[in-house]
Amino acid sequence: MRIPHSVRIAGLVLATTLFYGYVGQLVPQKEVQPPQATTLTGDISQAEMAKIGRQIMDGKGLCLTCHTIGKTGALRFPDLAGVAVRAKTRVPGLNDVEYFAQSLYEPTAYIVPGFPPAMPPINKPPIGLTDQEILCVIAYLQTLGGTTTVTLQTKHHYNSGAAAAPAGAPATPPPAGPPGKQP
Amino acid sequence: MNGASNRKLLIVLGPVTGIVMFIAVIWMASALVKREYREPYRAPAATVDQTPRAAGEADEAANAAKVAQDTPYKEVDYRAFPLVGSRVAIWMAAQLHLLFAAFVLAVPIFAFIVEAIGYKTGDERYDRLAHEFTKLLSVSFSITATFGAALTFMLIILYPKFTNYLMSVFSPTFLPYVLLFFAEAFFLYTYYYGWGKFHPLVHLGLGLGLNLVGTGIMLIANSWLTFMMSPKGVSTSGALLSLTDAIYNYTWMPINVHRVIANVAFGGSIAAAYAAFKFLHATTDEERAHYDWMGYIGNMVAISAFLPLPFAGYWLAKEIYAYSQTLGLTMMGGAFSWLFIIQAVLIGNLFLGANYYLWLGMGRVEGAQPFQKFVKYLLAAIVLCFMVWATPRSIIATVSEIRAMGGSSHPVLGFLGVMSAKNTAVNILILTTFMSFMLYRRTGKITTVAWAKMGHAVQLTIFGLVAIFVIFLGVYGYFVEATVRIKLSVPQVLSVLTAMVSITVIDIFLYRAPKKTGEVRWGRIPAISQYVLIFIAVTFTWLMGLMGYVRSGLRQHWHVYGIIRDNSVDAFTPTLGFATKVVSVTVLLFFVLIGGVFWIASLHDRPDFVRKPRLRGTTAGAHAAEADELV
Repeated sequence: MRIPHSVRIAGLVLATTLFYGYVGQLVPQKEVQPPQATTLTGDISQAEMAKIGRQIMDGKGLCLTCHTIGKTGALRFPDLAGVAVRAKTRVPGLNDVEYFAQSLYEPTAYIVPGFPPAMPPINKPPIGLTDQEILCVIAYLQTLGGTTTVTLQTKHHYNSGAAAAPAGAPATPPPAGPPGKQP
Repeated sequence: MNGASNRKLLIVLGPVTGIVMFIAVIWMASALVKREYREPYRAPAATVDQTPRAAGEADEAANAAKVAQDTPYKEVDYRAFPLVGSRVAIWMAAQLHLLFAAFVLAVPIFAFIVEAIGYKTGDERYDRLAHEFTKLLSVSFSITATFGAALTFMLIILYPKFTNYLMSVFSPTFLPYVLLFFAEAFFLYTYYYGWGKFHPLVHLGLGLGLNLVGTGIMLIANSWLTFMMSPKGVSTSGALLSLTDAIYNYTWMPINVHRVIANVAFGGSIAAAYAAFKFLHATTDEERAHYDWMGYIGNMVAISAFLPLPFAGYWLAKEIYAYSQTLGLTMMGGAFSWLFIIQAVLIGNLFLGANYYLWLGMGRVEGAQPFQKFVKYLLAAIVLCFMVWATPRSIIATVSEIRAMGGSSHPVLGFLGVMSAKNTAVNILILTTFMSFMLYRRTGKITTVAWAKMGHAVQLTIFGLVAIFVIFLGVYGYFVEATVRIKLSVPQVLSVLTAMVSITVIDIFLYRAPKKTGEVRWGRIPAISQYVLIFIAVTFTWLMGLMGYVRSGLRQHWHVYGIIRDNSVDAFTPTLGFATKVVSVTVLLFFVLIGGVFWIASLHDRPDFVRKPRLRGTTAGAHAAEADELV
């Protein structure tokens, strides 16, 4: 039996469309929910802050879309492994917290040599992290080769208007009480 | 009893019966009139239900009425669309509108060019071809306008707050848009209905007007949608600071250029599909020859526009990165990165289909055999490039497989999944398709110029050098820093464009007055070639749907990126699987509708209806005679 051309054309259109639709089902399926503001209270520990910071970097902050941790080779943006060590001396006159804060609030102020000036200010839309969320991110970054010193009460140049601390100075006084209970 | 007696009896009984009936009627009327009117039973006021329940209900009703009266008017941010939700409804309406709009904008461009060629050369075939293209326009224009109106109403109904914001920013552009739309209707219908009615130059002027007005409409509409992606000229809270900046935002001009080229490619492919449809249903050799030629021209237009399209795409992507690295990285490295693997499959198929059609077309030219031996090498190059382009950077694997590979990237193939390799692959793919076209162009011809040998050698050298240069830059990209690597795509693109232009220019002079070894036998091509044209049209349409999704979906949970947030239930970014289902349904709907357009356009050539005389039963002869008299 000879199939009419019209039927063949309809079959071809249908089969081609279904094929491409099928290809679409073969790739990884990920539904991305809009980011929600992280609710932070003043009594969370530094370890909890670092944990939240990591989650923010993975999700709302979109940090790990570009940055890697522990990868070498032809990278498009700086790898973050050991960044806590480098942050202390990267920019003369800035300690690690001030450096991290500058990198997040004013990322084009200092560009790591060999990389493009591509990072957006993290406190502004579309990412728009809050000051407290950024402190959590700093807390996590400090764990990459160092120890967390920031708390939710930590002040730096971008959340208090104070001048940046000189390089090597401690970011905050050591906590007197339990972690996260800094006055 | 005889008949006379019966008759007497009837004469006596008739008046008696009449009198009896008269009395009966009088009696019934009297009885009805005498009947007393009684009110229907109603309970006395004192006995109306005054139970606590009834009183409570009355109070509730009164309160409800009062609350309803006191309710203040309140703007809503969103409304729901039944079954599929607001986003999918808007998505499909917008996509269908854009597909038809692309077709309506593209067809006049190449109809105008084809008509101009016909006028210049005096070849009637071109004029007929341009007219045939234009036949598809009027119905498509109406469908475009219908979907445009549907989209506008749906935006106002489903996203009132956002639409209101967009209107507040762009209100000065709406009136010019409407006026241009009127002008487009004027030019389109005079261009179509005025075919052969004016001096050719006047008619060409109408075609030019149609193209200019259509482009103007597109530029205005593009400013709205690009503003949503890369807003400019507004404060951080969205207040308008400069309308000029809002229009001339980062992605406006790249989108304009990309859309004009993509529209031509898409329109060419749909026109070629129409020709294929007509070819397959043709009953005479003449028709087959005409529609074979039309399909060839349509496909030529599509592929010629398709070749520079990736370069326009690079520019658009560059501007997206320049506006916001976050937006750029979301596109290429984030939620949408896998979409570009689907895109690679589509574009690879387009290249394969286009080349296959050219190779099949060689068969219609006498003396094509010397060139057909190159086909297998071209095919190998295309397949290789296709495979490199479709190689993902990271692979879907189990935990044990990832451990064995030492990461989500394959230890060897992973190197092909980065931009250095993909840019190289697509540039070589373009060069190879260009080579296919050059071979097709030469079939049946022998150059007669004295410098033919040197000309061929120069062409081959340019082709070889550019191919080596593109591959070298691709490999070099693995050994340099990111800042250098990003910029390597520019010399790659420029070298390929230079090769295409210079080789074509040399070829034009080489084959200016060639010796012909055989004629082109239009219509002598296998039927499968026509299905290839339809396959290309479906693939183009699907590709437009997919890229439309990524351009719009890139904003993720923002109506206007970074300014107006999407707080609706549809603010999430769906899976690629879901998105491709929506694209597929939209594409199918488009082809159902465009099939209708083809059918309506084909009515133009159908012979006029002639009413035949009706022949019925024994009076057939008489009716036939009447009909003959009327004739």
